[in-house]
Amino acid sequence: MNRLTKIAAGSAVCAFMVAMSGLPSAFAAAGDTAPYKVADGNKVDAQTLSGWKTWRAMACERCHGAAQEGMVGPSLVNSLKVLSKDEFKATVLKGRIEKGMPNFDTSKMVSENIDNLYAYLKGRSDGAIQPGRLQEIGK
Amino acid sequence: MSLTTRLIRWWPCLALAAAPAFAANSDVEQLTKDPKNWAMQSGNFANHRYSELKQITAKNAKNLQVAWTFSTGVLRGHEGGPLVVGDTMYIHSPFPNKVFALSLEDQSIRWKYEPKQDPTVIPVMCCDTVNRGVAYANGKIFLQQADTTLVALDAKTGAELWKIKVGDPKIGETTTNTPHVFKDKVLTGISGGEFGVRGRVTAHDMNTGKILWKAYSTGPDNELMVDPGKTMTWTDGKMAPIGPDSSLKSWQGDQWKLGGGTTWGWYSYDPATNLVYYGTGNPSTWNPRQRPGDNKWSMTIFARDLDTGMAKWVYQMTPHDEWDYDGVNEMILADIKVKGQPRKALVHFDRNGFAYTLDRVSGELLVAEKYDPKVNWATHVDMKSGRPQVVAKYSTDKNGPDFNSKGICPSALGTKDQQPASFNRKNGIFYVPTNHVCMDYEPFQIEYTAGQPYVGSTLSMYAAPNSHGGLGNFIAWDAGTGKILWSKPEKFSVWSGALSTAGDVVFYGTLEGYLKAVDLNGKELWKFKTPSGIIGNVHTWEYKGKQYVGVLSGIGGWAGIGLAAGLTKGTEGLGAVGGYKDLAKYTELGGVLTVFALPDR
Repeated sequence: MNRLTKIAAGSAVCAFMVAMSGLPSAFAAAGDTAPYKVADGNKVDAQTLSGWKTWRAMACERCHGAAQEGMVGPSLVNSLKVLSKDEFKATVLKGRIEKGMPNFDTSKMVSENIDNLYAYLKGRSDGAIQPGRLQEIGK
Repeated sequence: MSLTTRLIRWWPCLALAAAPAFAANSDVEQLTKDPKNWAMQSGNFANHRYSELKQITAKNAKNLQVAWTFSTGVLRGHEGGPLVVGDTMYIHSPFPNKVFALSLEDQSIRWKYEPKQDPTVIPVMCCDTVNRGVAYANGKIFLQQADTTLVALDAKTGAELWKIKVGDPKIGETTTNTPHVFKDKVLTGISGGEFGVRGRVTAHDMNTGKILWKAYSTGPDNELMVDPGKTMTWTDGKMAPIGPDSSLKSWQGDQWKLGGGTTWGWYSYDPATNLVYYGTGNPSTWNPRQRPGDNKWSMTIFARDLDTGMAKWVYQMTPHDEWDYDGVNEMILADIKVKGQPRKALVHFDRNGFAYTLDRVSGELLVAEKYDPKVNWATHVDMKSGRPQVVAKYSTDKNGPDFNSKGICPSALGTKDQQPASFNRKNGIFYVPTNHVCMDYEPFQIEYTAGQPYVGSTLSMYAAPNSHGGLGNFIAWDAGTGKILWSKPEKFSVWSGALSTAGDVVFYGTLEGYLKAVDLNGKELWKFKTPSGIIGNVHTWEYKGKQYVGVLSGIGGWAGIGLAAGLTKGTEGLGAVGGYKDLAKYTELGGVLTVFALPDR
């Protein structure tokens, strides 16, 4: 990751870490059944594909980077390793305004696809899904 | 004529009756004529960014050294630059938009202003909270805050005199431009082309902030402030009236209401014709299939009467944009020879990679040539229709949604973004900071939600292929013939506003953080590494017999975001081969003004 970017994102990431430490949920996802299905790194189930389309439509890459590795906003590859699903949902829907993260609860697309968005980003964070364009398994 | 228009037309007369002493003018024009000051962000009404000072010359520039420095205490991207009026400097920061008045005598802080702004504006400014500087006139400092508040401060004390909100961040409207003071009016614009904002310019009473006129970029004629029979545009090789409903007819349905055409660039003003010139940004969304038509008057140069707001002429550079080539870049007014004939010209280096020379009085198109030979999305501008001739394989509309159009030059950053060029009045040459970046562009269907991003395209950017490998050039341009005179390769985009001087020196900053001085042939005379990457503009002034040159460093802005375009690990479609990632080897965030001068003898 770019050093510049890391610093820009740094304060936000640190805040995340501090907030999350001590919460048992932080690493709970490990070992659970993955919320996504993936083949060849770029073919996913329909729900995860909708998650990627939501990511794309909300222009999340403008802050978090095209490969979710962080820019002005924090690396989601890292964040999704520590955030529980509920914490993730709260962050996306309610935002972290002071840090520059908008609240997306006014977006119908995000509200309807929040689980799919989580699945997509979890797959990116796990290294199972490649960055960039995706297609549906079997299509 | 609408009631509003009628009132606006009468307004100057009423004002003259009410306040004869100040209604017609302000002191800013006079201040810009004294090269000891740097009284407007662009140096003067004409956007020249040129100084008559010549203590620093091509011969002695190599001796330049740091005189003093000042930290703004803010990270993120620092655009714009310091104003100097008499013995005081006024310097600004990005969000939270601090303003400092500094004594040039001892660099002490005379006053500091920090507005309270709703932090919800930060996410809407995604991804950088830049501000292009303050304006000065008649003992007042004008600040255009991020949250769209235009505020006037007492230049002596920093006390608020008036403020007015010109937009609503909740629907994606923010502001980054400098206020422009022309005569007795303050003009300001709006940002938010990526949020479906409807662009406009407002003119305000300098003394009260009251809106005198408001002219939209898209919509019905009365809101555009055009006269269908009298507002002219280049048509079939001559100027002709634009006709009724020119904007409405060029959009499908109500899309014009989300039409973009934002106005965050560098305006200019010609007292001889009383016309103000500015450009409008991209049409919303970035998915061109969702907005068939020419999308007027996005991507357009407007020439408006300063007092009435009515448009005298318009020229649309990129009809039906398919690449995000905003038309907001600086409008430079220059009296130069064009194809051998003396002309009152307007010169504009557009994002789309063409440099335009127009007759600024009539609006006639005179020259339109590529100022980077790599520009490939259009073969040329047809001089009869004034339209770019689009190359089919780079048409993201023809290729359609969910198709990745590859190898388009320039990228959405443009051959040049807002970083303003300099016009050297002494030799008539333009010195232009440019980008040398190409892109892949994949549009997709997008729904509008107020206040949410309304982009609809995935981009990846990289250094122009089969070239010198760098992401930028600093060039000299002849606007009379449309030719590059020389081009100095740069490792990164040159995102800093240039300055040329009567001492035959040209200055610009680089993203690594160097302030550079070159001679009129582009030969590097001197450079100095400032604390952070430079996206600010170089200014010069004189105090107590000494010439100073100052520039803000503080990496960020879209250039900073552009950095990240090259961050991935070589994944197909995302892995930019460009050198932006190397920038981390050179610099780090931090807002600092560095001031240079020659050593005492």
